Amino acid sequence: MYATKQPSLRIKQADLKCKNGCGYFGNADWDGYCSKCYRNQMEKERQKKSKQSQQGDHSKATSFSKFEEKKRQQSDKKTKYFLPVFRKTSSLKETGRPEKYIDIRQMNPDADKLLAEFISAYGEWGEAVRKDFLKCVQSFTSKIIHELDLKSVEELADIAQNYYQLYNNRLNNNAVYQSVTPEVRDKLLDFFERYSMVSLYTFLFCPPSTNDEEKDLSIQDRIRKLSWVNAHHLDCCISETSLEVRDLVYTAINDLLGMDSMKAPQEKLACVVRCCRSVVEVLQHCQGGPVSADEFLPALIFIVLKANPARLKSNMLYVTRFCYGARLMQGEAGYYFTNLCCAVSFIENLTAESLNMPQQEFEAYMSGEVTCVSAWESALVACEGMHQLCEHLSLLKGLSERMTAVRDDTQKLKDDMHRLKEEINDKVTSVLERTPLVIQPRKTILPLTMEFLKSLPPLPDKVEGAASDEVDTAPKYYQQNITMNQMGLSNPKPKLQLDITPCVSLPSASEVKPSLSTEFLTVASPAVDKSLDSITPDDNSYLGLSKINYDIDFSDISAENSIIEDLGESRRSPTMSFTPDPFSPMGTGCTIMQSPLVPSAAEMPRAEDPPARKNDFVLPFLEEIEKEGTSEETLLDKVEETPTICLPPPIKPTEYTGFSKQGSKIPSIPCNTGDFSSLNSTPNAGSSKDTN
Amino acid sequence: MARDYDHLFKLLIIGDSGVGKSSLLLRFSDNTFTGSYITTIGVDFKIKTVNIHGQKVKLQIWDTAGQERFRTITSTYYRGTHGVIVVYDVTNGESFANVKRWLHEIEQNANINMEYLTVGNKNDTPERKVVLTEDAQRFADTMNIQLFETSAKDNINVEEMFMAITRLVLRSKLDMQERQNDRTQNDTVNLRKTNKQGRKKCC
Repeated sequence: MYATKQPSLRIKQADLKCKNGCGYFGNADWDGYCSKCYRNQMEKERQKKSKQSQQGDHSKATSFSKFEEKKRQQSDKKTKYFLPVFRKTSSLKETGRPEKYIDIRQMNPDADKLLAEFISAYGEWGEAVRKDFLKCVQSFTSKIIHELDLKSVEELADIAQNYYQLYNNRLNNNAVYQSVTPEVRDKLLDFFERYSMVSLYTFLFCPPSTNDEEKDLSIQDRIRKLSWVNAHHLDCCISETSLEVRDLVYTAINDLLGMDSMKAPQEKLACVVRCCRSVVEVLQHCQGGPVSADEFLPALIFIVLKANPARLKSNMLYVTRFCYGARLMQGEAGYYFTNLCCAVSFIENLTAESLNMPQQEFEAYMSGEVTCVSAWESALVACEGMHQLCEHLSLLKGLSERMTAVRDDTQKLKDDMHRLKEEINDKVTSVLERTPLVIQPRKTILPLTMEFLKSLPPLPDKVEGAASDEVDTAPKYYQQNITMNQMGLSNPKPKLQLDITPCVSLPSASEVKPSLSTEFLTVASPAVDKSLDSITPDDNSYLGLSKINYDIDFSDISAENSIIEDLGESRRSPTMSFTPDPFSPMGTGCTIMQSPLVPSAAEMPRAEDPPARKNDFVLPFLEEIEKEGTSEETLLDKVEETPTICLPPPIKPTEYTGFSKQGSKIPSIPCNTGDFSSLNSTPNAGSSKDTN
Repeated sequence: MARDYDHLFKLLIIGDSGVGKSSLLLRFSDNTFTGSYITTIGVDFKIKTVNIHGQKVKLQIWDTAGQERFRTITSTYYRGTHGVIVVYDVTNGESFANVKRWLHEIEQNANINMEYLTVGNKNDTPERKVVLTEDAQRFADTMNIQLFETSAKDNINVEEMFMAITRLVLRSKLDMQERQNDRTQNDTVNLRKTNKQGRKKCC
């Protein structure tokens, strides 16, 4: 066309057009966009940057936004400068523009969310209400957007207020809203404000044409400089040391900080209300009574100083401009917002006089010359997290110390258990070795002469299981005993099955036939002792043995072995019934499996003992007991003392009372002495297995 | 519109700190006295509906901080205020001396329709009373304002005082409406303007 025929030096008409291809002319100053597209672009960039700056370092963000601000103001001046020229064109060619802005609005996810909320909340009032509501919002937002470039923020605020008023009138007078209840009408008005403001937030909050951002920065800087001001300076009674109060103060601060993240003016107001309620609560805590404005305002100033909210001025101006006016002048929200305005204006105009301090001191604080005292005091509040961290750390340290102590004790206990087990094994072996196992029948069972006994030929080894079956008959039982005797003597690791029936009432000493020879008794009693050897030390290490009722009278037999003496005097009460023979056929079977006994290493040092002991057993016991008692005392003392020391108190009662109860119920206590694996596991498990 | 009140007025309580502003408010709104009651919202903001000449008047009363240092900033409170109660302490001469300053401040911030009166609180212990009723009355007469002597503690005159300020404010509003109506009847040229004004004023 004509344009193409122009000399190359000339700029083509297409080059003059907006890069966005919207049909309007672009400008080199606007990166080749038209004014509208450029503004959009800037807004988008700003949004991105504000998001980034929120995440990023604060100081960096402020300095950067300052730079941004300058840039924007420059661009804005240009806009204003060129405004008359573009106004005509824009007013002439208005078509197509609203659609673009509606697109932007629809891109706003918050607005979408709100729309969904609206439909769910007010859908019941019918399609007409919804349509009318959306129509009003549409006209309001498009009106604002059209006026955005042409009018100042204050004028826009007036437009907004007019629209609120219009919609309010419409709500009350229009037939569409006839069926709607007054409460819902109020809510609809709220929602009208909320929805339109969320949609227009990016245009109306801290608009580039104002110096709101500068004000933000200056107040932020001011508050930072005043960081040394504490509750004391403001004559407010917030006690910074109480934990409860501190929590409330933080709640208040958080609420105030949350104001910036809200979009609708009423949401911002709600944050202020929440914050102020927390402040009132703080004061109620501190002075324990109703709160008056005399105390409230200083406290709020204190909170604002400590919070130093981002974009405080912008937020307040935004609320003042675009919140429905009536709301700001009345109600709780209005009251608290007014207080907040007062607090901010107090901070802005704060002088030495208003803090009741000499000018010099004030200046020293402001210049940062004197900081120490107040810094420490503010640190009390500001670095509370640090304090709590330290507290928690020391707590954790204590806990870990206790943990290691417990672990050490456990290890010690385990070692003790191990040693105990070995000692028991040793002892059992030694007892086994020194016991001739010349187990002979009692006369009660076998009314036979000694000659007949001796005349009996040694029987072949028997299966253990068979033994219990044949207990009934006296001769067989006798035979079994002999078998065992043989086993014990012939085999260094005898598989011995003993029947101990502690709980079963047995014929007492008086019932036993007087003809019972001392020999029989002595033979029988070591067996009892042996069984006790294997049981008692374990028991004794955990609980007061006095609790266990074995129904065994050790008064006579126990004397033979010092272990029993060590078990405690209480056990030897005369009330216990006398059990002369654990091998009694009348008792139910109680098997002590002495399967593979202690390794030979444990047996070896004991090898010398048995011969002497064997002799001892034959003798009437009393004197011998004393002897043995002294000889074995050292070993047993070790065994029995250590656990009581090692056991940490908390474990003792809970863990083992049950056991003691159980122990009293268990009719028989077989001892699987040879089983090492069970002993090597946890002490608890080991002991329980032992008794099982 | 179906609301539970006919008029909504915003009242402001000002005066030196410690003269009992909050106690007055608490006594009026909850009929309690400081110390025995813990509020949920706080004393500083209260709403009470009263009935005057058969009209339901909803009062929201804002407490203000009275400290000297906050004097310059309290102007924010005056926005949209219909009535102001200036409180002094009859046992504190200084607080009475400051009433003049408070009244001056009202004049600076006032919109035309604002009504105000003055209240001498803590009028319950005669032996401690330093501001004589005669002096106060003389002062009130010269300033052409009403004077009340109250005691929030003993609940003396509190209700009457609040009702008085409410009546003042209500009468002022009704007078204003009447004047507007007269004007709209007399002057057709100003119709649109006054309409707009009226709309803005609506609570």
